[in-house]
Amino acid sequence: MGRFDRLGLRNFRARDAVFVVLVSAVLLILFQGASVRKAGHEMNPGVGRDLVLAVGRPAGWIADRLPLASVSSSATAFLSPEPSLGGPGGFEEGGARTRSAGIPLVTRDAFEPANIGAPRPARRALHTLLVTGDSMSMPLDADLAQLLAPRGVRVIRDPHIGTGISTTFIVNWAKLSALQVKQDHPEAVVVFIGANDGFPMKGPSGREVSCCNAEWAAIYANRVRQIANTYRQAGAGRVYWLTLPTPRDPARQAIARVVNAAIEVAAQPWADEVRVIDTVPVFTPGEVYRDSMNVGGTQTLVREADGIHLNGPGSSLLAGIVLARIKQDFIL
Amino acid sequence: MLFPSDQFAIFFPIVLALSWALMSRPALWKPFILLASYVFYASASWRFCFLLAGITLGNQLAAVLIARTSDERRRAWLLRGAVALDLAALGVFKYYSFFAQQIASLLGHLGLGVPVPLVTIALPVGISFFTFQAISYVVDVRRRVVEPASLIDAAVYLSFFPHLVAGPIVRAREFLPQLRSPRDRNRVAVGSGVSLIALGLIKKVVIADYLARVLVDPVFAVPQAYAGPDALLAAYGYTAQIYCDFSGYTDMAIGLALLLGYVFPQNFRSPYRATGFRDFWRRWHMTLSRFLRDFLFIPLGGSRGGKLLTYRNLMITMVLAGLWHGAAWTFVLWGTFHGLGLVTEHALKGRLRLPAWLRWLLTFHLIVFGWILFRSQSLALTGTFLSRLAHPGALTLASATVVGAIVIVIGLQLLPSRGLEVVQLRFERMRPLALAGILTLVILFVGATVPSQGVPPFIYFRF
Repeated sequence: MGRFDRLGLRNFRARDAVFVVLVSAVLLILFQGASVRKAGHEMNPGVGRDLVLAVGRPAGWIADRLPLASVSSSATAFLSPEPSLGGPGGFEEGGARTRSAGIPLVTRDAFEPANIGAPRPARRALHTLLVTGDSMSMPLDADLAQLLAPRGVRVIRDPHIGTGISTTFIVNWAKLSALQVKQDHPEAVVVFIGANDGFPMKGPSGREVSCCNAEWAAIYANRVRQIANTYRQAGAGRVYWLTLPTPRDPARQAIARVVNAAIEVAAQPWADEVRVIDTVPVFTPGEVYRDSMNVGGTQTLVREADGIHLNGPGSSLLAGIVLARIKQDFIL
Repeated sequence: MLFPSDQFAIFFPIVLALSWALMSRPALWKPFILLASYVFYASASWRFCFLLAGITLGNQLAAVLIARTSDERRRAWLLRGAVALDLAALGVFKYYSFFAQQIASLLGHLGLGVPVPLVTIALPVGISFFTFQAISYVVDVRRRVVEPASLIDAAVYLSFFPHLVAGPIVRAREFLPQLRSPRDRNRVAVGSGVSLIALGLIKKVVIADYLARVLVDPVFAVPQAYAGPDALLAAYGYTAQIYCDFSGYTDMAIGLALLLGYVFPQNFRSPYRATGFRDFWRRWHMTLSRFLRDFLFIPLGGSRGGKLLTYRNLMITMVLAGLWHGAAWTFVLWGTFHGLGLVTEHALKGRLRLPAWLRWLLTFHLIVFGWILFRSQSLALTGTFLSRLAHPGALTLASATVVGAIVIVIGLQLLPSRGLEVVQLRFERMRPLALAGILTLVILFVGATVPSQGVPPFIYFRF
C-alpha cells in the first residue's frame, strides 16, 4: 500500500482525477456516443435502460453530427472479432422480400407429413452439424459436440449470447443464418433460441407491434420461418428447432408460450425438414416450472438458478433427446 | 454493471465528481457513497441489496456487542454467532443446491427418498467477498485489532463499490482508518489510478476474452475434438486468461479506488514467477491467501503442532479454499491438489535441492495442471481433457496472436520487474491531459475488440 507514497505518486489533486475522467468521457461521447445509445436500446426495460438512454440519446445525437465515429471505427475495424453482416437480406425488408423469395407465408391448414403416414426419406451420413441460438444453446452445443465428436461429426458451436429473433440490435439472425450456411453448409442445424425475445417488432405495415398478441406471434413466426428456410437449404439440410422450456418468471412464461407457438406454426410448411423438438413436456409438463426432475431414477436439478436456462444435467438430458431425433434422419 | 460497460462509464464520472465535491463533509459523503455502492450492486439484482444490508447489520451488531463486553467467553460466542450468520448466508446461496443434489443422488442410489427440497438458488454477486470481509471485521474486533466502526462506516466498508463484487478482500484495519478522515484532495494518485484502469481493461477485454473466445472455451467445452498439442496450448491459454481476467479486474478496482482517494492492498505479484506452491500463494490472490492464513490456517493451529497437524491444517485450508471458488467437485479437487503441493513442499523442505530454473519450470507446470482441474466443467471432462493431452495430432489453434498473447502474459512476469516499473512510472507521472488522452485511446481500441455480445463477466464474479 505504501508504493504510492514511497514513489511520490500521490502528486495529483482531486480535481485532476475529475478532469481526467470527464475529459475522457467527453471524448468518448464525441467518438462513440452512438454506442451508448445502442447499449441503452439493447437493455431490458427498466430504470437502468432509461438512465442509459437519457445519456445515450443526446450523446448519440452529438456523435451523429460529427465524423469522429466513422474515423475511429475505420481505424479500429481490424480489431473487430465480428463477421461482416452488411448488405441486404435482413429482416428489415419484411414480408415483401419473403414473398418474392418464394417463402410460403404461414397458413392455418399446414400439416406435418408424418401425421398422414408419409414415408420417411432414407437416412444419410452426417458430416457437419451446426448448433446455434442464444445462451439457451449453451452448454447443449458442447454436450452434442462431446457426443458426436467420437463419431467423426464436425460440430460447429455458434452461440450468440444476448441475441434474439425479435431484436436485431446485437445480431440480425436472418443475415447471420445465411452467413452460417454459406460458411459451413451444415447438413443439420440445431437451433435453441428465445430466452431474450419479447421485443417490439415492425409488422408488414411498418407499425411497431408489442409482445405478445397474435400479430406479434405472426411476425415472430415469419422470422423463424425465414431463418428455418435458410437452414434447410432448399431441402439439403435438416433443422431441429427446440422450443423453450417454461421459465420460472411468470412474465417470461407468457413470452415463452408465444415463442413456442410461433415456432410450431413457422415449421409447418417443411415439417419433414424442420423438426420441432418440444422441450416443454420433458422439463415442464403442463407448462409448470420445476427446478428438478427424475433423471435415470434420481431426482436431479435440471435448471440454472436464473429459472431460464438448463444446467449441466438438464442440458445433457436434452442432448440425448436431440441426438435420438437426429439419428432418425442420419446414420451415426 | 461491469466495469467495462457503458452503464459504468456513465455511473463512474458522476460518482467521482460528486464524491470529491462532498469529500470535505463526511456527513454527506458517507451516505452518498453508500447509496452509490448500493445502486451499483442493485444493477445486478436489487433484491440482494437486502442480503448485503442484513449481513452489514448482523456483523455490526456483533462487533458493537463484542466491544462492549470484556467477558472473553461472551466475546467468543458473539463472534461465533456473527461468523455463523456469514457462513449460513454463504451456505444457503452458494452451496445449498450443490449439497442437496449430492445428498439426493446418494440417497437415490440407495433407493431412498429425497429428504431436502431440490431447488436452485440464484447466487448473489460478490457474496464470497463481502461475507469474508464481514468475517475479517468481527474477528479483528474480537482480537482488538480494530475498534468497532460506526454503522455507516461499517456499511461503506462492506459495500464500497470498487471492491464489492470481486475483491480484493480489504481488511477492516486497512480500510476503516481511511474512512475516519476525509481523503486529502491534494494527494491523489491519479496517474497510478488511470494506468491501472487502462492496464486492467487491456488485460481483461483484449487478452483474457480473446484467449477464451478463440482457444480456451472451444477446447475445454469439447476436449474430445482436439488432440494433445491443442489441449496443451489451451491449458497454457487458460493459465494466461485467468491471470489477465482476475488481475485485470483487480487492477481496475484498485485504480478506481485510487481516483476516489482510497488505497487497496496489492492482490497479484507476478504469480507465474513462483518457484513453489507457497511462493505461488504469496503472489496469487494475495488478499485471499492472507485471509485463509489469518482466519483459517492459524486458528486451526497453523504449524505449531508438529508435522502431521501442520499437514492436516494445510489440507483443510486448501480444500476449503477450493470449495470457496465454487460449489463443484472440480474446485475441491483443485484445492486438494494445491494442498498436496504445499504438504509435499513442506515435507521436502531442505531435503531436495534443485536449481532455481528447474523449480520454476516444475512449479509452473504443476500450476498449469491445477488450472486444468479448475477450468473443467466436470470431473469426467477433466479426465477426458487429460487423456487428450497424450493424444497425438496436429496443432490447429496456434496463431501468432494466440501464442504471442500467452508468451507476453507469462513472459512479462519472468522479466526483472525494475524495467517494467520504469515504464509504469513514466505513465503514472504524465500530465492530466495526456492521461485523459491515453485513457480515451485505450477505451476506443479496447472497445473495438468487444464482440457484439458484449464483454463476458469476469471469471471471479461467479465466486
